[in-house]
Amino acid sequence: MLELARYGARRRITGALVLAAGLSAFSALYAAFFPSVTEGIDLDQYAETLPPVFVEAFGLRSLGTIEGFLATELYQFAWVILLGLYLAYSAASVVASDVESSRMDLLLALPVSRARIVGESFLSLVPGIVVINAVVAAVTWAATGFIGHQVAAVDLVAVHALSLPYLFACAGIGLAFSVTLDRASLAQRGAAGTVFSLFLVETLVTNTDYSWAGALAPQRYYDPTAVLVDGVYDLEGAAVLAAGALVLVLASQWHFTRRDVQ
Amino acid sequence: MGVIEIESLTKRYGDLTAVDDLTFEVADGEVFGFLGPNGAGKTTAIRTLLGMQAPTAGSVRIDGHDTTDENQRLEALADTGFLPSNPQFDPQATGREILDLHESIKGGSRRDELLELFDPPLDREIRAYSTGNVQKLGLVQAFMHDPDVVVMDEPTSGLDPLLVARFNDFVRAERERGVTVLFSSHVLSEVRRVCDRVAVIRDGALVAVEDVQTLLARSGKVVRARADGSLPDDAFDIPGVADRTVEADGDATRVSFTYTGSVDALVDELDRYSLLELDVEEAPLEDVFLQFYGGEASA
Repeated sequence: MLELARYGARRRITGALVLAAGLSAFSALYAAFFPSVTEGIDLDQYAETLPPVFVEAFGLRSLGTIEGFLATELYQFAWVILLGLYLAYSAASVVASDVESSRMDLLLALPVSRARIVGESFLSLVPGIVVINAVVAAVTWAATGFIGHQVAAVDLVAVHALSLPYLFACAGIGLAFSVTLDRASLAQRGAAGTVFSLFLVETLVTNTDYSWAGALAPQRYYDPTAVLVDGVYDLEGAAVLAAGALVLVLASQWHFTRRDVQ
Repeated sequence: MGVIEIESLTKRYGDLTAVDDLTFEVADGEVFGFLGPNGAGKTTAIRTLLGMQAPTAGSVRIDGHDTTDENQRLEALADTGFLPSNPQFDPQATGREILDLHESIKGGSRRDELLELFDPPLDREIRAYSTGNVQKLGLVQAFMHDPDVVVMDEPTSGLDPLLVARFNDFVRAERERGVTVLFSSHVLSEVRRVCDRVAVIRDGALVAVEDVQTLLARSGKVVRARADGSLPDDAFDIPGVADRTVEADGDATRVSFTYTGSVDALVDELDRYSLLELDVEEAPLEDVFLQFYGGEASA
């Protein structure tokens, strides 16, 4: 079992390490800037002058604290948006690119069920996601300690742990596109476009009468600012995301098992 | 009961009928050629047989397992090898990584033995492989788990003549070991050397299932010659000659025809003239269709 997942994960690990290094540098840079930035400007006052939608989109609260600063600059932006889009985009290619290039024919001729091919393709993304989180969490903890504004380790672990179901859900959206479209580039654009559209919708409708419209957006169920600033862990949201990811994987398996591969 | 059974198989894509009511069987231990011009539906039939797409109608079986049913298909695939036409591997992986993956899933008891015969550069990335090396890697993965049945789609495309000869020897040896082989080709000369029987397919429909010897006797040779001077009107007008054309070429004469008569009679006839050039080759498949099965070749 898991031979395909292991193989895929090995092939992806370099990319994940590069991404982890990049995001770690990002995190360390923000931590390094924080003392000088907060000396010069009152960031909370600055945030009040911004449009409410913008404040909502990036979870701008308590910017003058390291927790609020990192929640906004690193987690709302790099995690919720960048990494979410990246995973939707990568997952969208796992099946579609093999189908498009005809590599799938050799996989389908192996004594392995189609559900397993889809499931293991998804699983091959998991080690990379975990590595990125572990590395950046460690770097962020060390960097904030270094500047003398240590973020609570428990909150840091929570913000990363709770991001996992969010990122799996984004990858699930990518997978669903991947088993449906035969052209990897279309699947990737479709998946990334969907995740970004859901983010925009959720941002626009939050705190309005139309907030139901954002119910399908994974971003609704993961709020790094709440975790870091308020110490509020939305376990229910994490469960919704995990269930959503599972449903997307099962639906992708169901669909791929029944379709013609050309 | 055949090891491979294709019965009344039809596969349509919208209005296009790629395979039309195709029926044939491959017997246990037989090397069976699946012959037809490009676009005749060979790949569609093979991919449907292996369960990559569902038949529109009809049934496909390998070793008694209905390959449209996933559980039965997996049972069949455990003892089946497959070489797709123009096989594609992960370009960033090395040959060794690919074979390791395949071995971890389906086994590789014959891997080393096969690597001595077909020796792709295992430590190089696939993207640096030549077409011939990709094909060699494909052959190794198709046979490495010692399958009872092997299905190959255009296995010799991209191989140089020396390797084709090695491949032919290999397939003959596999037949001795009792392996059942189905392989497709659009070139008659390719299948004639190793196959027992041949199914000929055109426009998705079966044209004939023939013993290879019968098919060869029917298909004949294309003869082209250039003779010194002019030729008499009845030159090469002997039994077995068809489509004869004779035309002047400066001081010489060009003649061409297809020939299905006895070799001796042809040599006697050729001996009557002073030849500058002579070219004898197997008739292209398209001509065989035209001549013996009627209608327009679709290639």
